Amino acid sequence: MFNLVTRVQTAGNQALTASMVVTGFVILLTLLQLAQDNVWGISTTSITNIQPTSSIKRSSQYGSVNRKPKENSKIQFDLDADLTPLFNWNTKQVFVYLTAEYPGKSEGSSNKVTYWDKIIKSKDEAKLHYVNQRSKYSVWDVEKSFRGRNATVRLEWNIQPHVGPLIYGSTETTGNFQFLRNE
Amino acid sequence: MNLRQQITQFLTLAYVFSSAFVAWKTLGIVTNSHSPIVVVLSGSMEPAFQRGDILFLWNRDKQQKVGDIVVYEIEGKSIPIVHRVLREHHNSEKQLLLTKGDNNAVDDLSLYAKKQSYLNRKEDLIGTVKGYLPFIGYITILISENIYFKYGLLGLVGLSSVFFE
Repeated sequence: MFNLVTRVQTAGNQALTASMVVTGFVILLTLLQLAQDNVWGISTTSITNIQPTSSIKRSSQYGSVNRKPKENSKIQFDLDADLTPLFNWNTKQVFVYLTAEYPGKSEGSSNKVTYWDKIIKSKDEAKLHYVNQRSKYSVWDVEKSFRGRNATVRLEWNIQPHVGPLIYGSTETTGNFQFLRNE
Repeated sequence: MNLRQQITQFLTLAYVFSSAFVAWKTLGIVTNSHSPIVVVLSGSMEPAFQRGDILFLWNRDKQQKVGDIVVYEIEGKSIPIVHRVLREHHNSEKQLLLTKGDNNAVDDLSLYAKKQSYLNRKEDLIGTVKGYLPFIGYITILISENIYFKYGLLGLVGLSSVFFE
């Protein structure tokens, strides 16, 4: 019973098994390498000089419903970070994003929004240095306004591998600012 | 070829299909997603995901984090969309998400249903992308979008069953 079909089947099965084992090894080695490079403990970042601005929008593109006024927030910030440890042989790209977290109205509620992000494709671009950088997005809340709440700013990252799991983390430094009171 | 042989062949085929089906459904139960493995169809997440890449989904997280890449479905649109969470707002009962494709200039508001300004974590999501295999899914794109490939493949399968009995 050594006809073509069984031969192709056997070869296919072996190829599948082999590639699964190799993929497993790649994933394991990647995780070990990242742990060794201490990527979850990057502490040299600085996020400073955060200046919020605010405006009232009445367009649905800016979160307004039925032309009701909606507060939109932007920030300017200084950022220094060295993300080169995130790049190894299984890194396809790093997506880095600046988030602000602030409390909601009720107990147990919370919000997190992205002000700025960037796709980094190589190690050469992984040293970030920005002064008075403007946020990329105009941000609105589920509520009508931000009511002058305090926000915590973090620099977070996501490694996209060539093969394997997506890996997430954030640098240890945080920044703070208070939304403008605009009511 | 006698009847016994033919029945055996049929049973083997039925076994292959049913075990594939059982494996797929089991994966669906484990991941809590009706479609636990998806193939990327658009370039809106490039360079992270290209057309033909395979994504493994998981749908048992209670909440999404900002930066998660999620797959969602909009009512009335049949194609699931793979995009990144840009904002999340949650209380103890419910979580609202705004998403955006890395390669798109603006957020997904225009992709959502009319009057819909957020995704609802519980209702709209198929899963969160946890793992990634490049390129292998391209074969399904070829099959579904290229008729020559589709019928060529069908013809090959047919011919092989005629010639290699």
